[in-house]
This record gives sequence, C-alpha cells and structure tokens, in this order.
Amino acid sequence: MKKKVIGQAGWLWTLLASVVAFIYFFPVLFIILTAFRSRSDTLATPPKWFFTPTFDNFYHIFFRSMSNSTEYVATGFHMYFFNSIYISGISVLLALLIGTLAAYGFSRHPLRGNDTYMFIILTTRMLPPIIVIVPIFLIFRITGLAGTYTGIILMYTAFNLPFSIWMMKSFFDELNTEIEDASRMDGASERSVFFGVCIPQVKAGLAATSVFALILTWNEFLFSLLLTNKLTRTMPPAMARTIGGEINVDYGLLAAMICLFIIPIFLITYILQNQLLRGVTFGTIKK
Amino acid sequence: MATIELQNLTKAFGDLIAVDNVSLKVEENEVLCLLGPSGCGKTTTLRMVAGLETATSGDILIGNKNVNNLDTRDRNLAMAFQFYALYPSLTVAENLANPLYADKLSDKEIKKKILEVADILQLRDIVNRKPHQLAEGEKQRVAVGRAIIRDPECFLFDEPLSRLDVQLREQMRGQIKEVLSDLKKATVIVTHDQLEALTMATKIAVMKDGYIEQISSPHNIFAKPNNTFVAGFIGTPQMNILDCKINEINSSILKINFLDQEVQIDFESPINLNKDENYFIGVRPRSFEILDNDRVDTLSGKIDLIENMGSEVLIHIKSNELTFRSVQNRSHQLKIGDSINLKPKKGQVHLFNKDGKVIRNE
Repeated sequence: MKKKVIGQAGWLWTLLASVVAFIYFFPVLFIILTAFRSRSDTLATPPKWFFTPTFDNFYHIFFRSMSNSTEYVATGFHMYFFNSIYISGISVLLALLIGTLAAYGFSRHPLRGNDTYMFIILTTRMLPPIIVIVPIFLIFRITGLAGTYTGIILMYTAFNLPFSIWMMKSFFDELNTEIEDASRMDGASERSVFFGVCIPQVKAGLAATSVFALILTWNEFLFSLLLTNKLTRTMPPAMARTIGGEINVDYGLLAAMICLFIIPIFLITYILQNQLLRGVTFGTIKK
Repeated sequence: MATIELQNLTKAFGDLIAVDNVSLKVEENEVLCLLGPSGCGKTTTLRMVAGLETATSGDILIGNKNVNNLDTRDRNLAMAFQFYALYPSLTVAENLANPLYADKLSDKEIKKKILEVADILQLRDIVNRKPHQLAEGEKQRVAVGRAIIRDPECFLFDEPLSRLDVQLREQMRGQIKEVLSDLKKATVIVTHDQLEALTMATKIAVMKDGYIEQISSPHNIFAKPNNTFVAGFIGTPQMNILDCKINEINSSILKINFLDQEVQIDFESPINLNKDENYFIGVRPRSFEILDNDRVDTLSGKIDLIENMGSEVLIHIKSNELTFRSVQNRSHQLKIGDSINLKPKKGQVHLFNKDGKVIRNE
C-alpha cells in the first residue's frame, strides 16, 4: 500500500477539510468556551468571544450554595462521576469478555442454524430500548435490582452484548484459521490457541468494540434515569437534574459538566486511536 | 519411525460426503501424494490425519496405533500449510522455535536446532525478520522449516508449493524432495499439481469426489491408468479419449474403429474384449509417430490448429468432424491444412470399457 505523505493533499484540500472540521467542532468549542465564562458573559447577546476566563463553573460543580443559604456545600457530583466510570467500565469489560468468547464460539464452532442464532441476537437491538422499559422496570423492582450497581451493570452488559458478539465475530471470521491449526500442530492446547494466537490478532477489534460500547454506555440516559437511585446515578441523569426547570438554567455550570464528561471518552479514544483506525476499517484491506 | 494407515475413512459434512471410504497405507520412508482436482477431499483427508477434523467413521493408525481419539498435539505430527500459517508477530527464528516449546528444550538446544534448520533451508540471513518482510519463497521455506524442526513421527504437507511462481516452484520441489529423502519418514503431500506429485512422490493416490481412483507409483499412474478419470487427469496435454468400436480381434492384433477410421493396433498380448462392442480408446498426444504414408495402422487427418510449446508443437488434428491432439517435434515443419498420418506407438494405447475401467492383461 502506498503511504501518503502529509502535505501531499495540497493547500486547497487542506483548507476545505479544515473548514468542514471546524463546522463539526464548533458546538464543542462553544461549550468549552461557555464553561470558562462568567454568568453574565454566558448570557450576553451577541455571544462574547473575548472574556476573562473563570474557573467558577468548575468549582460549582462540586461545591455550591443550595437554595437560599450562602454556605457552599458539597454536591456529591464526584460520586456520579465515579458511578459513570465504574458502571460503564465494568459493563463494557463484561460485554467484551462474554462477547469475545461467544463470538469465538460462533465463528469457530458453528451450531446447527448458526445464522439464525446470530440473527436472533441482532433482533434484540432492532427495537428502541424504550419499548421494553416497562417490563424491565418491573423485573428490576421484583428482583430488587432497581437502584443497585449490579442491576444497571447487568442491564448495560446485556445492552452491549449483541454488538460485541457481532463485531468480534467478524474479526474472528477474518483471521486465517491455518495459523490456529498450525499452533495446534505445534502442540498448543485449545486454550492457548485462543489466548495465544487468536486474541493477539484481534486487538484492533477489541479496541474498536470497547470504544463503541463505552461511548454507548457512557452516554446512556434513559435506563440510568429509571433504574438507578441517588447513590448509583450516573452522569447523564445527574446533569439533567442540574438543569432544573425551564427558567434560571445555569448554562455555564452545565457546560463545565459537559467538559468534564467528555474527558474520559476523549482520553480513551485518543489512547486507542491507532488500534481504532485499524478496527473500524477492518475488511477494507485484503491480505 | 512410523507408518500412516487409513482404514475406511469417511467424512461427511451434513449431506455432503467429502471423503468416502478411503483406505491407504504410507510406509516409513515413503512420500504419498494425494492428487486430485479442487474439492475432491484430499485436504480433508490430510486434516483428518492431522486431527484437525474428526472422521465420521473409519480408523486412522499412526505407527500401528489407533489415533482416532487423540488430540492433534498428541499425535506427534508436523504439518506445513498452504498459506504458510506463520505467526505474523513473531520473527522467523521465533516461528521456527514455536514447535519446540512443547518439548521443553533448553534455550541452547532450541537455538542450535534453529540454526541447523536455517542452514538446511538457507534461512540464515533472514532469521530475525518478520513474516511480512519475507518473499513468498522464503515464507514457504520457513513453513517447511517449522515442520521439520521437531522430530515428528510423520510429515504432512498441504499444497506446499501452490503459492509460488513457476520458477520458484521448480526450485523448491527439488529442495523439499531432498529434505524429505534425508528425513526418511512417512510423508503425505496434498497437491492438485500433477507435476509436483509426479516428481516428489514415491506413491500417488488420485482422488475424485472423495474416492481414491488409483494408488500406484508415479510411473504406473502415468503409464497404466486404471480408468478414464486418471488417464485424463494425469499428463499434459491431456490424453485423447475417444469412442471406439472393435471391428476384428485377431489374437493380440485388434482392428479398432475410431474417428470413423479403422486402425490396426498391436497389443502384444491378447486382450479380453468383445467384438462390435463400444469402448473408449485412450492415446496420449505424445504417443503418436508421424509416418509418410497412410497405412492400416495409422490415423489420418488434417491439421486444424498448431499451438507452440517451445521445442515441440501441439497439433489439433481434424478427422471426420472430430478432433484429437498430438505433440510433435518442431523439426517436422508442420503447417495448418496439411494432411498427416499418425501411428499410435506400440504399448501406449489404452482401452477402457463403457464404465471407464481399463481393460488390460497384466
């Protein structure tokens, strides 16, 4: 494959790409700027582009005065932040673990009617989740899972599984099975074939699957709103509660929360970007 | 040292029977080629021997021990794969070392063995490279190296040369043959390339649709094919196989009608045939000699097409709306449209009955 040197695209294309990129990036930029504005700057019309940055909004996320008192109290927001990381982290790991094992099974030891099973798994993602919210809510109430970490983690794991299975299966399908056979000939057990030969070859797939699943879980609002309580709430419903009513919305505070909210996803995507690029373009380059 | 024996081995994938009741035996020091067109079950047979596929029925014996229920790793075999199956993230040396880890050798011994094999296969200069930095021929040698580095009971090769270009193939063919004859082990090679089989094997099994059509030495497979399939499959250009009718039987001399001509053929010994019955006659393109005049023992016709094959030419001869082919030396200076008289060489004419089975008096 010919490697393109940076700069080869020429100025015109670079400029055009920059303009398009800026259009996409603008809302994010606006939020980041808002997070550093004071309350009066936030509400100024037209928007103020030059202002004295302040960290007040970030401080207020964690400590602010409630109702009429002037005393600053802890908002407990760090807990929601931790909840988000904990719940999405565990559920993505679980989905990845179960999904990878299942995908390997579906790919290497197909059942009679394998495609039907795969299709059934996919159908669980065909309906909008809100349709099943009532039965799920009832199940959670009856089993006592409502409001617990276990409950919401299980929910998200189930939510991510079909996607993980499908995605990982296509990665396993792409592999050359001869290499696995060769290692069997070399004396490897089935377990070392899986861990020593297959897994290292689908690293890109694991990265892509985990990032997609993570984004989905991290941003999930509806189930978290209904199935968590004060102690297990994740960031999205917590942020929504901060908005309060229709009047007197503190946009600066909200923007600061969003800034914090996107940092973990941004970091993980950044760290995995090389794997991710290979992951999302899999199948496009034939060996 | 061990033999490989298959007894009534059968493999079915659902309704499809890929390998049908195959029985064969490979002695120590013998190289058996499983030869056949794509999808004839030869690779499946090999994979069953390796334990990568389970047989539906039948027995596999390695060193006279039934290995039906043994895992691949317990069968002590070595296999070279069609697509080389090198570990992409490991260097050549690490790839070669991999089969040795199971034997729990010391690092020193492993290193010694790697260098030994690298010397045999001329891999010394590339032991530290990764597979993607290798040329096809080098990858292939590494794959062979990985198979021979251990001291297994038997060797299995799955289309070892199919991915190489013609020149490299010829070179590797010699090299593999040399390595195999030094190792003196029972070896099975799967190939669809008859030249590969004819040159490397000591015994060839021709397969079709899961059946073994014939097992014999390379010479016998070529000179004494058991049926029309083997006759047509082995040898390039393909054998002429034509409808014929026996007009007259006079001890060993037959008057055979084919291509609407009556040709007298001497079979040296009498053959068990019936007059006025339909048969197939098979003559290889190289088994004709040109004669100046039309005689009772020649076929005549007009040259329809000439294909150049270097020092020889392949001529298509038309006779009574039917064509057959013959290979002749370029020095004959043949031209399209020329009339030609060809005599089938003695002992090189094959007769098959209507079921395609050969008729031969041994």
